[in-house]
Amino acid sequence: MSFAEVDWAVFRISFQVAGVATVLCVLAGVPLAWAIARTRRVVVHALTAAALLPLVLPPTAVGYYLLQGLGRGSAVGRFLEDELGLRLVFTWPGMAIAAAVVSFPLFVRTAVAGFEQIEPELLEVASVLVGPWRRFFRVVIPMAWPSLTAAALLAFARSLGEFGATTIVGANIPGRTATLPGAIYQAVLAGDRALADTLAVLSLATGSVVLLALGVLFAQVRRRRW
Amino acid sequence: MSTPPVLSVRVRKRLPGFELDVAFDAPRGITVLFGGSGAGKSLTLRTIAGLERPDDGRITVAGETVFDGAERRWVPPHRRPLGVVFQQPALFPHLTVGENVLFGVRIPKGERERRLQEVMTLLGLQGLERRPPRSLSGGQQQRVALARALVRRPPVLLLDEPFSALDEALRRTLREELLRITRELGLAVVFVTHSLREAHLLADSLVVLEGGRVLQAGAAATVFRRPKSARVARLLGWTNLWQGRVVRAAGSECVVAVGGRRLAVRTDGELPAEGSAVTVGIRSERVIVHRGEVAAPGPNQFEARLVELLRYGSTATLRLRPPENDLPIEVELGARALEVLRVGERTSWLVELPAEDLLLMPPGPQ
Repeated sequence: MSFAEVDWAVFRISFQVAGVATVLCVLAGVPLAWAIARTRRVVVHALTAAALLPLVLPPTAVGYYLLQGLGRGSAVGRFLEDELGLRLVFTWPGMAIAAAVVSFPLFVRTAVAGFEQIEPELLEVASVLVGPWRRFFRVVIPMAWPSLTAAALLAFARSLGEFGATTIVGANIPGRTATLPGAIYQAVLAGDRALADTLAVLSLATGSVVLLALGVLFAQVRRRRW
Repeated sequence: MSTPPVLSVRVRKRLPGFELDVAFDAPRGITVLFGGSGAGKSLTLRTIAGLERPDDGRITVAGETVFDGAERRWVPPHRRPLGVVFQQPALFPHLTVGENVLFGVRIPKGERERRLQEVMTLLGLQGLERRPPRSLSGGQQQRVALARALVRRPPVLLLDEPFSALDEALRRTLREELLRITRELGLAVVFVTHSLREAHLLADSLVVLEGGRVLQAGAAATVFRRPKSARVARLLGWTNLWQGRVVRAAGSECVVAVGGRRLAVRTDGELPAEGSAVTVGIRSERVIVHRGEVAAPGPNQFEARLVELLRYGSTATLRLRPPENDLPIEVELGARALEVLRVGERTSWLVELPAEDLLLMPPGPQ
């Protein structure tokens, strides 16, 4: 093992990608999970299925679709680049989107479970006392808080380890879009066992820390019977 | 009802396999919605609270129309001038008792503490403000739920079987406190229950529901004393109901043939036509039993034999039958009377049905 060879930029990029992906999951996933937990409408069922799709698709397929959808070849990609100056293909923000899509099912499922645990009586009492927004932010979110944190942490962990989708969108450019998993792949391809070992151990350490935190959180969810 | 209604409800709502179609007014004091399970009591309450949307109708609370089907008016639940308490206290577990009570109350910061203390004192909860709800007993939790409903000073309070989950002793205390608070604050309370005892104790007005309809509504004393049908009577605990025919009707008295017997009935209401079919009823606690020492039997007195004795602690139910077996009678006696009469030692009794306690109702299903 040699730490000298490690390009520490892969950590920065990995955490940037995973961090932004987690934020994206939270922003899109919390409202969707709440809608899924609360309504029985057909639209919501369709949305649920769509949100879970990345779970059964190969990440490389997800990456491929995103590459098509976000690149200059598509109207969306052209608009983003020409009008907003936002280039997503071969950049880390694009990878964050890819990681978010892949992690989304995990986030949504965990968040839905958290929302469904809230007793309906509490929600009814709340809706007699305050309007829907205050009810959401002062009752629903605080009560689902441990589950939502766990969901975010899961999404973060999943994004941190994502390789397929992010590599296709980001192209694994050293110093710019190469993440920790990408760097391992690169090291193995180059036959650099020592570097691959070091990077793998570092992945293991990071993953263990995240899992430990998750364990604590889930224990809290289970204990939170009030 | 003497005072003008604070709450006026007229709603229709169709659900799969059930149709709610109720109308009643609630003045100040306690209006009990009474009926068995599936009568539509809770659904009615939920439409008033705004948790269910009626298909049609109109609900006004303290002069404000909160729902009007024709005008498409709909006031969301949190803007209705109502306090609501359910069977479960449903306190927010992530907030302290004080935070629960003040949840969503929009008053100036300086006044919050004063308002909190006021309502906590009213319900005997002083000193518990900072405690988490789970550390409170069931009775205390339900008091907090009441405090949370009352802190906004609503003119109308909706209570859906609020004491059913508590033990008997607590239930008694809380019922009595509800009576006190209702009077003190001049509230109009709508109280859902399936318990007759509770209805008797609390109701100023009574609305009897069955199958989504109002069978009878009015001042509680009147409804309890004069149910207008055998169905209502049965729901209100009348067990002595017999089918008969009017033999003679004159003045304030008529004679009704029940089986082979003739019963004199005194009535201050409308006299039924001679020859018409009627239901005759008497509340079980109004029946008099003699030990058989009455010398001259009156019109509504006859021999009966005790066939069953059921002891409920403070009261007991006697099931009696005359030798002709035509008029099964239930009598309710207090524990003391049971002892004095030495009911257990004797099977032959003289039963008397006071003419003024017998009630005539339309001929109804038994």
